[in-house]
Amino acid sequence: MIRQILTLATATFLLAGCQPKVEAPAETRVGFIYVGPRTDFGYNYAMDQGRMAVEKDLGVKTVFFENIPENAEVERVMERMIADGIKIIFPTSYGYLDPALNVAAKHPDVKFMHAGGFKLAPNLGTFFADIDEVEYLSGMAAGASTKTGKLGFIAAHPIPQTLRNINAFTLGAQSVNPKATMTVVWTGSWSDPTKEAEAANTLADQGVDVLTMHVDGPITIAQTAEKRGIMVCGYHADASSFAPKGWVTGAAWNWAPLMEKIVKSIHDTTWKSVHLRGKLSDGYVKMASYGPVVPESVKPKIDSVKKAYETGAKLWSGPILDQAGTIVLAAGDTLPMAKIESMNFLVKGVVGSLK
Amino acid sequence: MEILEIVLAIFLSGLRAATPLLYVLLGETVTERAGIANLGVEGQMLSGACAGFAVTAVTGNPWLGLVAGAFAATLLSCVHAFLCLVVGANMFAAGVAVWVLGGGLSAFFGIPFVGKRIDGFIPPDFGALGQLPLLGTLLRTLTPTVLLGLALWAATGWFLYRTRSGLRLRAVGESADSAATMGVAVKRVKWLAILAGGAFSGLGGAALSVDQVRNWIEWMTAGRGLVAVGLVIVARWNPWLALPAALLFGVVEALTLRMQTWGVPISSYLLSTFPYLVCLAVLVWGYVRARTRGGMPRDLAQAFARTE
Repeated sequence: MIRQILTLATATFLLAGCQPKVEAPAETRVGFIYVGPRTDFGYNYAMDQGRMAVEKDLGVKTVFFENIPENAEVERVMERMIADGIKIIFPTSYGYLDPALNVAAKHPDVKFMHAGGFKLAPNLGTFFADIDEVEYLSGMAAGASTKTGKLGFIAAHPIPQTLRNINAFTLGAQSVNPKATMTVVWTGSWSDPTKEAEAANTLADQGVDVLTMHVDGPITIAQTAEKRGIMVCGYHADASSFAPKGWVTGAAWNWAPLMEKIVKSIHDTTWKSVHLRGKLSDGYVKMASYGPVVPESVKPKIDSVKKAYETGAKLWSGPILDQAGTIVLAAGDTLPMAKIESMNFLVKGVVGSLK
Repeated sequence: MEILEIVLAIFLSGLRAATPLLYVLLGETVTERAGIANLGVEGQMLSGACAGFAVTAVTGNPWLGLVAGAFAATLLSCVHAFLCLVVGANMFAAGVAVWVLGGGLSAFFGIPFVGKRIDGFIPPDFGALGQLPLLGTLLRTLTPTVLLGLALWAATGWFLYRTRSGLRLRAVGESADSAATMGVAVKRVKWLAILAGGAFSGLGGAALSVDQVRNWIEWMTAGRGLVAVGLVIVARWNPWLALPAALLFGVVEALTLRMQTWGVPISSYLLSTFPYLVCLAVLVWGYVRARTRGGMPRDLAQAFARTE
C-alpha cells in the first residue's frame, strides 16, 4: 500500500513541476483564464486576441493562464492572481462561473467579468455576443459555393446555442440556394479531434461538399476537409491557413472592443455589475475573410443582408418551418429573445437528431 | 452497387478508426502475455501523439514523427517497468501513475505545438484510379499507418506463436517461476515486453496525431488507450484476434456516425455507447461459449486474485 502511495505521489510531484507559474510583475492589473490552449484557432484563441488588443491599445499589462480545468483548480488560479495584485479577472469559460462567484465573494475589491454566464455578484458581471447573424451570412456564402447542395455541420452537443448556429447557417444557405440541405453529426464532446476527423470523412463520403462546425477548435475539421478536397466554413476565428484551397469564410468573435470597453469602465469607475451582450452591429462578432471558392456574385448580397442586420432587421422572423415542415414561426412574427435562447428545434432541410 | 459502396465505406472508416487502437492493443497483448498489465497506455499514447506531432511539425517528416512517438512512449514505459520490476510496486497503481504522468507531460510540452500545421503523409496521386468509386475509397484509406499496423499485426502474431522468444515470453506470463527454473531470464523478458508495449502504444498515438487527425491537442486520445486495454480482454490475449476486436469497435463507431447522417431518430448519446455495448456483448458471448478463463495469462490472473 505504501508503495502504491509513493508511486502516485511521485507522479503528482513530477506533474506539479509542470504547472504554469505566476510570474506577474507588480504593475500587472488584468488577468485572463482560458479552459484550453490559446493557440487553438478556436474559442480560446479568440479570447486571447482580445487580451492582446487590451494590452496594446490600453497600455495595461495582462497575464493569462491556459488549460485550466473548470473545477477547484480555477479557484486556486484566481486566488494566486489576486495575491499577485491583479484587480480585474476575465474567467472566459462557461464552467468558471460558480468558482468565480466563490472567489468574488471573498475579494470584493477585485472585479470579475465572466464570459456567457447568467448569474451576477456585486463585483462580478458577464459579457458575451450573439453570433447567429454571422452564421447566417456564412451560410449564404456556403450556399452559393456548394456544388452538390449538401452541407454538413459537426457539433458537440444539441444545446440551444448549437441549434441556433445550425439553424441560422442553414437558413442563410437556403436564402441563396433553396434546395440546400444540412446534415448534422454530434460528436458528444467539445474537443475530440479523432471523432471530428471521422465525422468529417463520413460527411465527405456522402457527397457533402461544405463543412462547418461548433466545437472548440476548427483545425481538425478544416484540415480534413482540405485533404478530402471539399470546402469548409470556420467558427470562432479565422482558420483559413489550414484550408487555403477550400476556405469559404466563417463566423468569428471580435472580443477586443468589448474587453477594452469593460477595462476602461473599471478604470474610470463607471463599471456596473450587468450582463453585457452585443452582436454584429456592435462589432463584437465578425465574418472571417473570404476564401477563393466563394463566387463574387454572392458577396454584394451578403453585404446587403449584413447592412440590414446592422440597421435592425431580425434574423429570427417568420415564416420558419421545423424539420417536419410544421410552422414554428408564422410569417410576420419574430422570435422573442427568451425563445431564441432556449431554441429546441431544427429548421426544414436539416437532417439530424435533436437529442 | 450502392449498398456495396456504403458497406465498404463503413468498413474502411472502421479500419481507419481501428488502426491506432490496433497498435495499442498489440502492444498491451505482448505486455500482458508476459504477465504485466499496463494501465498507463493512455498516457503513453498521449506522449506518442505529442512527440510524433512535434517532430513532424519541426522536421516536416511524418516517418520521423512516428519514430519519435514510439521513442517517447518507450521512455514512459521505462517508468512503468522500473516501478514494477525494480521497486516492486503494484502494477495497476504504477500504470495509473504512468497514465497521469504521460497526460500531464504531453499537455505541458505540447503547448507550443497547439495550432501548428502539419501535412502528415501526403497521399500519392492515384490519377484515374482514385476517381473510381470503390477503388478510390480503398486507396484513400490505406495510409502508411494503416498498412504498417496490419504488418505489425501479422508480425506480432508470428512472433508470439512461431518463435522461440515468443514461446519464452508466453511461458513467463503463464508461470514466471516455472520459466525461471527452465533458465529463462524472467526479469529481462518482462522488461522487454513492457518496452515493446510502450513502443506500440506510442506508435498508436503518433498514427492518430500525425496521420489521421493531423492535429495535436492535450488529452486528444479521449480514452482510446483504455478502450484498447479493454479490447485485449475481448481479443482474449490473442494477437490474431486483436485486429477483429479493434475492427469491431471501429466499424460500430463508424456505423453510429453514419446512422446520424441518415437521420435515425436515436439520441446521439445513446448511439455513441453502441461500440462499447457491442464489444461487451461479444466479450460475454465469448466467455459463455468457451466456458473457460478466456485465455488470461495465468500469472496475470494471480495478480487479480492477490489484490486485496
